[in-house]
Amino acid sequence: MISDLRSGSAPAELTGDVCVVGTGPAGITLALELSKKGRSVVLLEGGGASYEADSQSLYRGSVIGHDNIDVANSRLRQFGGTSGHWTGMCAPLDPLDFEPRTDVAHHGWPITREDLNPFYARAQSYLDLGPFKYDFADWQAMLPGKALPLDPAKVFTDIYQQSPPTRFAEKFDEAIKTDPRIDCWLHANLTDIVLKDGSDAVQRVVVSTLDGRRTSVKAKTFVVACGGIENARILLNCRNQRPAGIGNQNDLVGRYYTDHMTIETSTILFNEGVDTAIYPEEIDVEGARLAIGLKVNPDLVKQLHLNNNSAFLVAQYDKDVYNDDFRNYGWIGFTTMVKTFSRGHLPDRFAEHYCDVIDDFGAVATGVYRHAVRKVAPPSRAAAFKLRQDAEQSPNPDSRVTLIADKDPLGFNRVALDWRVTSEDLLKLRRTHEVIGAAIGAAGLGRMQLGISETPDLEMAFSAYHHMGTTRMHADPKQGVVDADCRVHSVSNLYMAGSSTFTTGGCANPTLTVTTLAIRLADHLAVAV
Amino acid sequence: MGTLTRRALLGSVGAVALGGLAYGGSRIGCTFVPRNHPDFFSLLDVVPDDAVARRIGRNALTLASISDNLPALSASLTEQPLIRQAIEESCPTARMNLVQDQCALDFAEMKTVVVDGWVLSETEASLCAARVLGSASA
Repeated sequence: MISDLRSGSAPAELTGDVCVVGTGPAGITLALELSKKGRSVVLLEGGGASYEADSQSLYRGSVIGHDNIDVANSRLRQFGGTSGHWTGMCAPLDPLDFEPRTDVAHHGWPITREDLNPFYARAQSYLDLGPFKYDFADWQAMLPGKALPLDPAKVFTDIYQQSPPTRFAEKFDEAIKTDPRIDCWLHANLTDIVLKDGSDAVQRVVVSTLDGRRTSVKAKTFVVACGGIENARILLNCRNQRPAGIGNQNDLVGRYYTDHMTIETSTILFNEGVDTAIYPEEIDVEGARLAIGLKVNPDLVKQLHLNNNSAFLVAQYDKDVYNDDFRNYGWIGFTTMVKTFSRGHLPDRFAEHYCDVIDDFGAVATGVYRHAVRKVAPPSRAAAFKLRQDAEQSPNPDSRVTLIADKDPLGFNRVALDWRVTSEDLLKLRRTHEVIGAAIGAAGLGRMQLGISETPDLEMAFSAYHHMGTTRMHADPKQGVVDADCRVHSVSNLYMAGSSTFTTGGCANPTLTVTTLAIRLADHLAVAV
Repeated sequence: MGTLTRRALLGSVGAVALGGLAYGGSRIGCTFVPRNHPDFFSLLDVVPDDAVARRIGRNALTLASISDNLPALSASLTEQPLIRQAIEESCPTARMNLVQDQCALDFAEMKTVVVDGWVLSETEASLCAARVLGSASA
């Protein structure tokens, strides 16, 4: 059932086996999985059923580090969470991402990729993906072209799957409404986590609407699943019984913020006749939509002290009509409206999208014209390819979310986001591109021109809006906020879900792993509760 | 100060004459000894004579890893087994293929340099550099 705390119909106290705070991919997946196992869930959403400006404004904060990032609008405070505007690229983290590395400080999870494989397989259907197959060999027979003949000991062809993208609010609205074990409340903003006196266990959480209607939730176990920035903000703001914030006795909550550096740079010129057909465009095959990129062999990544990366080839054409430089907020708004109208719905934030289109009307018109021309005269051959990637950063304790003096209407301090992008991260990416360029040269396929100089321009790195790492997982409480089960080290019944628990970010878009960890957590809690 | 005696004078002249004879005889004799002296400079024909190649060559010469001394550069290039074969090869296509194979081998062994941002094999960058040096000294 889905209810609205603003209606005034809520009892003074809600109860369930598990209280889940947040209705994004982590929260909804967790609630549905727990319900399947017979556990009752109180599911709390701070926003409404769709976008509301006053709810969204609670996310406002300041950016004090690298400024090619946003703290307010990149995430959505509404039912379904940020799945309301994610782009849908999916891949599991690599085994390498979980390994401790002597050459990269603070690297390594207390779990392995193998531990997650069964849960990854179950997560695929939540995101409307194909089978859990991410090896090129699994798909090559179905593809319209061949992989580049590169030495796999150096560089190999990598598979991502594309979600439609799944909007959790649309897909699971009915399931949540009709599930007798899930008691979902909208406009229920968490305002405090109350520990039992003299214990390290959560007794209840307090929630409130923006207009002051309050209730509390009692449960055996509590899970905070509000995203990589908000998870840290909540813990840091709950200071009534823990002056440094809950779980923050070692000053780790909010630290190790990491993101993917979205960068499109470095150019490959292929020789005439090189078959690149499978790389630049997404490909529909049986039951899946694939995106195909290039990845450096993990052994070489370790040997050369690189970060992980998947690079996708973006075709560059001599004729402008085949290039995509018209893509901006106006185009995104336009395509969002077209897609949503085609499904018979009115888009969320319609006015905002409409005004983006009006502001960028020239770009939208250019985009429509170019798409029409491409239908009539498809391009023959790209002149070159650029590498687009969401590149990994090394874990950095100084990259962090902190509280600032400014408070939101509910009394929580807002956040400052100090995202650190370092020259070292960019130089590792440059070296990664050198390895790819050398592999292409060794195969006699062409040459690469690097786009990152030896003194890198940090401004080339943009946030992928993949907020990760702020309540990182580590077996040692002095190095991580949560343990291998996602439980806050210092609280016996408080768990964190979502990308805030990532110890390293790898280079895979995080939503598949977020969903995977939620399923794994549900299995754990179903036994523990 | 010593005195120049007739004996010393004749001895010196004799030594010079014998040396000259030995040298001249050796020169004549050596013309009959087969030797492998590849014509490195003919290999530079595989480098295009255009502005791009010249620019690569000029910029490659600024790198510490590429010698700006033509004999030294040619010596280092001719140490590469496929380059030696290419020098001895008379068929232009086969020569070009051997040079390309040597470049591919460089890439596989990560013997690369970055020139104007381009990731190039040491061999191709060195050949462009040698062409620039060769043109300058011509």
